Amino acid sequence: MRKHHDVLSVEWVKLELIRTAYATRGGLFSTMDPRMVVMWYLVLAIVPWFTHNLTVLAGLFVLGCISVGLARVGPLLLGLFVFGLIVETFYVFIAAWLFGGDTQTVIALVELTLKLGAVSLASMAAFVSLDPEKLSDAMLAFRMPQMITFGVSYGYRMLPILIEQFATVFEGYRLRSAPVENKGFLGWRMITQWCRLTVLSFYPIFLNTAKSVRTTVESLEARGFTYAAVDGRGRQIRLAYLRLTAKDWAVMAVTLALIAGVFWFGAQFPLYR
Amino acid sequence: MTSTYERRGELRGTMDENLELNTSQKLMIFVLSMSLFGLSNVILEIIPDVSIGPVDISVAYFVFVPLVMVALFSPFWAALGAPIGEVIFTDLLMGDFSGLAEIEGIIQMFLALYIAGTLMRNPRSKAQIWIGAITVVVIDKFLSAAVDLSKVWIGVEDAEFVEGLPQSILLLEGIGFGVDIIISGILFGAIPAMWLIPALYGKIEPLLGMRPRQPGDKVNGGAQSVWFVVSAVFLSIAAFFFAFLEAWDVEVGVIDSDLREQYGDTFLLVSVAGIIVLLTLVWLISRRTQRRSASPSKD
Amino acid sequence: MPQPIITVTDLSFRYPGADQDSLRNVNLTIEAGDFVTVIGGNGSAKTTLCKTFNGLIPHYWHGEFAGSVHVAGVDTWDSSVTELSAHVGYVYQDFHNQLVRPTVRDEVAFGPVNYGLDDHEERTSSALETLGITELAQRFVWQLSGGQAHLTALASVLAQRPTVLIVDEPVAELDPERAAVIYERLATLNRELGITIITIEHHMEFVARYAKSVILMADGTPAWHLPIEEAITRTGELEAHGIPAPQSINAVKALGISATPRTTEDAVAAIRASGKKPSVHWSGIAHLATQEPNRDVVARAVNVTHGYKSVSGETHMVLNNVNVDLHDGDRVALVGGNGAGKSTLMKLLAGIIVPREGTVWLGETNSRSKASPHLAEHAAYLYQHPELMLLKGSVAEDVALFPKDRKHPDTDALVAHILDRVRLTDFADRDGRTLSGGQQRRATLAIGLAMRPTVLLLDEPTSSLDVSSRDDVTHMLADLAGSIRCTVVATHDMQLVAEWANRVIVLSEGGIIADCHPRELFGSPQVLERAHLTAPEIVRIGNALGVAPVPLSVAELAAAYHGDGPPPVPTATAQTSALGV
Repeated sequence: MRKHHDVLSVEWVKLELIRTAYATRGGLFSTMDPRMVVMWYLVLAIVPWFTHNLTVLAGLFVLGCISVGLARVGPLLLGLFVFGLIVETFYVFIAAWLFGGDTQTVIALVELTLKLGAVSLASMAAFVSLDPEKLSDAMLAFRMPQMITFGVSYGYRMLPILIEQFATVFEGYRLRSAPVENKGFLGWRMITQWCRLTVLSFYPIFLNTAKSVRTTVESLEARGFTYAAVDGRGRQIRLAYLRLTAKDWAVMAVTLALIAGVFWFGAQFPLYR
Repeated sequence: MTSTYERRGELRGTMDENLELNTSQKLMIFVLSMSLFGLSNVILEIIPDVSIGPVDISVAYFVFVPLVMVALFSPFWAALGAPIGEVIFTDLLMGDFSGLAEIEGIIQMFLALYIAGTLMRNPRSKAQIWIGAITVVVIDKFLSAAVDLSKVWIGVEDAEFVEGLPQSILLLEGIGFGVDIIISGILFGAIPAMWLIPALYGKIEPLLGMRPRQPGDKVNGGAQSVWFVVSAVFLSIAAFFFAFLEAWDVEVGVIDSDLREQYGDTFLLVSVAGIIVLLTLVWLISRRTQRRSASPSKD
Repeated sequence: MPQPIITVTDLSFRYPGADQDSLRNVNLTIEAGDFVTVIGGNGSAKTTLCKTFNGLIPHYWHGEFAGSVHVAGVDTWDSSVTELSAHVGYVYQDFHNQLVRPTVRDEVAFGPVNYGLDDHEERTSSALETLGITELAQRFVWQLSGGQAHLTALASVLAQRPTVLIVDEPVAELDPERAAVIYERLATLNRELGITIITIEHHMEFVARYAKSVILMADGTPAWHLPIEEAITRTGELEAHGIPAPQSINAVKALGISATPRTTEDAVAAIRASGKKPSVHWSGIAHLATQEPNRDVVARAVNVTHGYKSVSGETHMVLNNVNVDLHDGDRVALVGGNGAGKSTLMKLLAGIIVPREGTVWLGETNSRSKASPHLAEHAAYLYQHPELMLLKGSVAEDVALFPKDRKHPDTDALVAHILDRVRLTDFADRDGRTLSGGQQRRATLAIGLAMRPTVLLLDEPTSSLDVSSRDDVTHMLADLAGSIRCTVVATHDMQLVAEWANRVIVLSEGGIIADCHPRELFGSPQVLERAHLTAPEIVRIGNALGVAPVPLSVAELAAAYHGDGPPPVPTATAQTSALGV
């Protein structure tokens, strides 16, 4: 019996987009200047690579967890992340054990996991709080190529349209192809047909998208997109709203102080392999 | 009426015979590549990933999509658009952006696609399409393995002396590598591309106001300085990889000879051979482009 | 004496790779403050001409360019797209693709911000205000309706304060009511801000109502450029170029009155002034539904409720407890405003989607019990945009896809026969995308016929077609009766409803508010108003003159006035015998 599904539809994609767009979680970082958030992330992403001290790494990991909490990421997401990290480490350990690894290996893995984990936590805290537009403004501020920042807003705008087109073409292909009578073991015939139709659908999608891209780029041209790349005033106007406030500096200062603290603590109670 | 038609106005512009792309054409290629590869990744996002233990046997990406782009258009802009589209569509817009790791991804994919695109001189040659598809996956996965390994190497103190660690990382990377070559490189790379590239050839270019790529065309869109950058980035990453292997090599000698060692040796040999082949290719191609640009046909 | 704003001298242009010139020795002067409409059949280079005005040709499209175009005294050849964009704004036919920013305000500000203009905020606000869309400023572009998106595109070019505004076929992607809103706004811009407006248009109704002058393009060159009063009198010439006169003019002409009314009201006034009265013998009875009641039911929806999860998270109901039976011999027009649930109902009846509640029966089959590809053999659904149905490299392959994949024994003969029927045999090997709009529609029709369904469902089969291609498709639909037992068309095209359908279902607010013969619908203004429908001009004229039953075509109006026997049989009932597919 067929039933109606809400997922995998255009509406679903729009829903996902809006969810990211509004980034309604709130939290500390969403109220900060995006440039400072990116700087803050860079600090936390780089620092762990300068030490092999497990105490320090554990401290940085905890710092990451606190940041994620401040960014109001739910405990469920955080839990899933940590769980994933443990599972991954476990696999590597199993493999290492096959090659004759021992407790030394485990500790080395703990070190690696803490490091990668701390970096991931920082990125989670920072980027979950920045909606794509803010992030692209931050990138513009750091003088990243204009194409990237344009890509963000364009993708934002086109994704629902592209998905809708693809869904329609795919659906049409499916209706006009012979139905799969025998699904086969684990439905492999279905999967094969699905893959075949997906690939085939790209033929019309390529041509249709090429046509619409032409209109887009013509219109970009007429509205000064390439002009803005040369002339800096447009950039200044776009970024005029960015303000570094006392809060931004305070967050950065506190973070740096905490990192220093962690390193000091680590020096007092060093734990090496 | 048609027969008596004769242009009265003075002819001011003729057909563009030189192949230099103008800004808007570059932009069109970039945007098209970005949209299509982004879209294909969103579609993959919808399918659940299948993994057996640590080995992910899902489709990493639809290689045929950017492969069509680099085969039919200027490889530079197509190769640049695709990974950026991936990051924007699936990571940024779906709220899954991971900072610096994305930049790694962009560089890897860009290099992989650009090199594959420059290797494919004739979009209608089946053999070149196969080479292109495999090249993309090999380079991309090789570089990502190199990055992963170097993370372990930098991240763990004296990693090469930790019992079993380098081997296990290499093993997991190696299995993933093999799976990706088969699934992404062949099933969703070479085979679809073999059909799609000839099907679109000559049809999609006029939509963007361009002439189809001919077998003899020089690779445009990137100046020679691009090659310099490409080689430099590539070489530095390769150097990293070499350094890791070198460090590990010491370790290999100590392990008792058994199957594991054989496996490790083979892997090492294959990797080194692969890198040498790639470097030679890069060197050859850059020399060829330089010679071409130096030839009198272009002033 | 008005100043010329655009002067074209001996302009010829050839696209790269084309084997002949698209524009041929064009000489043209457009005066500042004019409201010009460019008309001409599909492929008469209307769009190409307009792209030379804002410099996209030759600066973006590098082809063979001869002659010159001056805009506000600047030779476009020596200028650039950037410089010209300060003078000329362009709204595309596929305007959705010209919107590049996430929110409406950002979109409108995009141009001024890129050019680094200090008054960008003021420009943005005033553009939004001028078009009355200030309240949309914070919306995401993907949340907009088609009409709102078009106004946004218009605002975004207006923010660059152009002196010339080009709008390419606003009616193509919008329903007529929303297109009328766009035209009203354009007329205001023209009147109050003195902006020169250039539109490309197929519908003479809009041309007659809003334009000040008309350019008729034929074979890549203007046949003439005349003031509207003179242009609309040249009905014969227009007809020869595939642009029939609006019904108001034809109606007056058919009654033997010498006047060229530009609006429905003018036509009514002219007919009243002539003192003619409808004949007392007019009954129109020959056209009322005369079908026997107990025909087979080919598809049935029982208590169907359906909706989608909206962005806010709750389910938005599109259809609420809808019941409908489709019979053998029905030619159903499904009408209602955008978002009334037409496409949803069609997809439910085709078995592509299944309802949240209720049941859809396709013949004896419950649509839940079989996968949609199975049901496609019973009910075929044709999408609105042909480019989404043209999946293969050639028309013939596209038509053959369904029968070939299902191993129909005589696929080749079937495909040849169907292509012949839709007169596309000569184009069998061409890529469907390279065909004209009308040919593309016929190709999709062929795809539907090759599926040999019992029920054929078509979404907007006549949108964005010029009038002669439109009539072509209407005739072809009328010819289907021999091979398709029941045809359903979702449409905004009320003329199609009047001329083709024998049953019309009106959807509004999730339910069916009328299910009757078109004549009955067009005779009830309150239903039309409730469903936001605008009757064809001829119906409005008939209603205003108090002709009852209301005439559905110009011929019927003439018959009503002359009263000499039954009116001519409309095309829809004229059936041919060579239809057995």
